[in-house]
Amino acid sequence: MNAIRQWFGERLPISPDQVLEVLDEPVPNHLKRWWFCLGGTPAYLFVVQIFTGILLAFYYQPAQTTAYESVRFITTEAAYGWYFRGVHKWAATLMIASVVLHQMRVYFTGAYRKPRELNWMIGMCLLLCTLVIGFTGYSLVYEQLSYWGATVAANICDTVPVVGGLAKRMLLAGDAYNTETVSRFFILHAAVLPASMIFLLAIHIGLIRMQGITEFRFEDEPVQDKQHFPFFPDHFYTELIMGLVLMILLSVLATVLPVTMGPRADPLVTPDVIKPEWFFYATFRWLKLFSGTFAVLSMGLIVFIMFVWPFIDGWIRRYTRFAEASVWIGIVGASLIIGLTVWEAAVQH
Amino acid sequence: MNSSERAAAGDSTTGTAAGDRRSFFSLVAMGLGLTGAYGTFAAMAARFLYPAKPPDRRWMYVASVTEFAHGGGVLFSAPNGQAISVTRLTANGTVEDFIALSSICPHLGCKVHWETQNKRFFCPCHNGAFNVEGISTAGPPFDAKQNLARFPLKVENGNLFIEVAVA
Repeated sequence: MNAIRQWFGERLPISPDQVLEVLDEPVPNHLKRWWFCLGGTPAYLFVVQIFTGILLAFYYQPAQTTAYESVRFITTEAAYGWYFRGVHKWAATLMIASVVLHQMRVYFTGAYRKPRELNWMIGMCLLLCTLVIGFTGYSLVYEQLSYWGATVAANICDTVPVVGGLAKRMLLAGDAYNTETVSRFFILHAAVLPASMIFLLAIHIGLIRMQGITEFRFEDEPVQDKQHFPFFPDHFYTELIMGLVLMILLSVLATVLPVTMGPRADPLVTPDVIKPEWFFYATFRWLKLFSGTFAVLSMGLIVFIMFVWPFIDGWIRRYTRFAEASVWIGIVGASLIIGLTVWEAAVQH
Repeated sequence: MNSSERAAAGDSTTGTAAGDRRSFFSLVAMGLGLTGAYGTFAAMAARFLYPAKPPDRRWMYVASVTEFAHGGGVLFSAPNGQAISVTRLTANGTVEDFIALSSICPHLGCKVHWETQNKRFFCPCHNGAFNVEGISTAGPPFDAKQNLARFPLKVENGNLFIEVAVA
């Protein structure tokens, strides 16, 4: 063992102790509460997505003529194909849910405040990447709903003044869905977005390591001399357990609620009921409530406000007497999103 | 005196040993659990990646038996592009009269061709040679005891059929 250690020591300018020191972040006591694992949950699910996504890519054929048939082959013929596609789909669902919950936790505990504004913005980029990667993944199946969902999304882009037309053409690789579109979605889904997310995640985690985790103390917590516990092995074991619980949950979901396939995409017939994936229900309902350009621009404005929220919140706290306004704004915003989602889910049109 | 009493009485050595044993067993249990869970996942992934099904094989019509003279043959082209040499070696009136041999050399996959004057299949890549029954007689295939692959044949109603991969 010492010989191996020495061999590496002579070649690498970093010792195992130094590696441990980098990893061994002091973790505040409040992280023993389970809902503070919500940041690690999407990170773990992202790894599951990369692994199952690589497996699926072995059989998936990203072309208009072959996409649907290859997904059918994976689902019904390849050994355990149904399982890996199911895990991939359910991990996507859980990943988006946990990212949203993680963001809500960060928001309502005010963990985005100075000096962590930049990391909030990186987190927002990760949220948008997660939503787009969910959308492009769904489009790859090339069934009726995913085809028309992509068409609608492209036309939503088109309503943005000035740059909308270009955005639509860039998304579809043409003025309408064509033979190049599926491969474009595939490259976005399997290469561009995952690579961007790995890059953003590295910065996200790096910033957490540099700035430390936000310190909280809950009222029911006993006053202790030690305010922190070591990341390794204490918190690492917690994440390990979370990982196994998630794998069990994903396996159960993939088995009990297996993935299905709708009818193959037909560019000549739009289905009577067309809906996006659940995480776009709120935006879809919003689009039905207002005229195209207003709906799109207002959504853009909301996203922009979310991006720069730490600075708006800082201004409110500094110059007004509504120091806790963010909590009430957050409650209204979350209720609005949940309300629109439930509304869209409850009705056909 | 149980372990906690011993620990309370100051027998720290025994207390530490119990603690060590407990942490050792929990470490082993955790290792086994993780290996079992992710090991199963990895095994399923390996099975998923292994080609999903063997190539589909079907019986295909070659020619009428009467079309073959004694010693004569045809080159049959399988749907997957493989060239197969079908030859009539004897005239006993059974399927044993015929032999179907792959034209791919088992050494490194080059194409063999029939040399009438030498009565042998010859591979130009490394001078491998096979007799009329596909048995290697010279060159690297002979050293490695590799023969030309044979395909199953059957005769039905005077017609010769061969079983080949179709995809």
